[in-house]
Amino acid sequence: MLDSLKDIIRKSSIHACLVSTGGCNGCDIEVVALLSPRYDLEQYGIYFHNNPREADVILIAGAVTEQWREKLQRIYAKAPEPKVVVAIGNCPLSGDVFNQEGSSVYAPVSDFIPVDAEVSGCPPRPSEILAAILAVGPDAIAAKGRQAKGDQKAQPSEKAEGEEKK
Amino acid sequence: MILPIGPVHPALKEPLRLKLKTRGEKVLEAEIDYGYVHRGIERVMKGKTWQKGIYLSERVCGICSYIHTQTFAETFEKIAGETAPLRAQFLRALTNELDRIQSHLLANSTYFKILEHETLFMYMLYLREPIMDAIELLTGNRVNMGWNVVGGVKMDVNQSHLDSILKIILNLESEFDRYVEMFDHGPLLGLRSHDVGKLTREEAIKARAVGPVGRASGLKHDLREQHHTYKDHLDWNVIWRKDMDNYARTMNRFDEITESMKIIKQVIENLPPGEIRKQINIPAGYGEWANEAPRGEVTYMVETNGNLIKNISIRTPSIMNIDACAKYMLKDVATVADAIATYATVDPCIACTERVVIVDEAGKGQEYVYPDYNIPYLKDKTGD
Repeated sequence: MLDSLKDIIRKSSIHACLVSTGGCNGCDIEVVALLSPRYDLEQYGIYFHNNPREADVILIAGAVTEQWREKLQRIYAKAPEPKVVVAIGNCPLSGDVFNQEGSSVYAPVSDFIPVDAEVSGCPPRPSEILAAILAVGPDAIAAKGRQAKGDQKAQPSEKAEGEEKK
Repeated sequence: MILPIGPVHPALKEPLRLKLKTRGEKVLEAEIDYGYVHRGIERVMKGKTWQKGIYLSERVCGICSYIHTQTFAETFEKIAGETAPLRAQFLRALTNELDRIQSHLLANSTYFKILEHETLFMYMLYLREPIMDAIELLTGNRVNMGWNVVGGVKMDVNQSHLDSILKIILNLESEFDRYVEMFDHGPLLGLRSHDVGKLTREEAIKARAVGPVGRASGLKHDLREQHHTYKDHLDWNVIWRKDMDNYARTMNRFDEITESMKIIKQVIENLPPGEIRKQINIPAGYGEWANEAPRGEVTYMVETNGNLIKNISIRTPSIMNIDACAKYMLKDVATVADAIATYATVDPCIACTERVVIVDEAGKGQEYVYPDYNIPYLKDKTGD
């Protein structure tokens, strides 16, 4: 009963964090365009806050540059547990035009952190980004939340950590 | 106390580390760390044909991606000693101004967001979306357009496109003044903007501030004055102000949007018929071309052997503007919130700044002189 209530609440309050790991920032501004009245991210219960410590959905935009190789993993570790990673654009998928001999990018991003959804395009349209977040976000967060709870029963030491985020 | 901000932070949409040296709430000085988005574009471009290079140049920066391709194409046209057909020049000017409008609206929206004025932030994005539609209508894409080629543009427009774009611009014009007034006469916004983040004319010259940042500090400098299309065929004025603060920079952008709308109307009215693209035979040689991007001047220095790019150096405006911000504007700012707002008025574009790493083994800048052309060229440490 309580779990299903939690699921409903989790599904309709998703905090998103954009991590630009070295692209052309075209995808970043398409994410900003999502905030505009036309797309209105917040009517779907998604709050765009850019803080990894309270993020449910981490949006990765950009091929991974030298500086981001370790930092990306640290940021992923900082996000509380039911978390989903959405890779936006061609850069995190393949490196796009930057992935050539002599460049300093280390795409794909899935080499560093697990990726749940991928949106291709250079850049993808805002509606596509929104569709990807909504397709993978709510259910995965609810399911992962339950899964994490199941894990806690097996390993009581992680329980305190799990309680915090609620 | 040192207050680090970034690289991932609610106030920033791009990765950068801002270190503010504070005493209490007061910001004494600031330092900026770059290097999070260095992809090595210039190095990748070397040894490629221009057809490949133009796609890379577009992805130097996503917000002002259009002007990079135009400057790239015009550099090659200059090496060949030719110009694009007149219709192509007009279409380039049209897209450039549309791009400038959306970039300035985005810059101001970021500023209002950081001032926590959510209403104006939403209004700016609301005004921006129709402009993005116009760009999409004209070029086929919203951000990375892939529209310019050496010798012209890829696609022609027809009258129905122009009518739709004109309608969008007239719509924007009819309601634009209301939003500018909201900022101009807003008492709260005025308090947060007036006399915050001063950059005097002398400091702007010292820091080489360009674009709206320089123009708001009294530097009447706009490279469109020297551009052949704007100089010969279009009637417009350079917008500049003397009040040097956050208010001036924001208003300068608003006024430039009005001026851009004027240019767009002229272009649509006087669009000449004819070819949109011509064959250009590129000889071996070195060429330089600078254009006015939304943020200031962007310069391309290209050395080619006629087929491949031998060397390329790109100079973008953000690096000078961000340095001007760190060195002069963020000095004795009253609060941290004002410091972040000041940083936002500079319209920083991190992806632009981070193509070049200018260090040698000792960590000092190294100047490398082109063997044949005597052009100072900054050598990439990791380069060949």
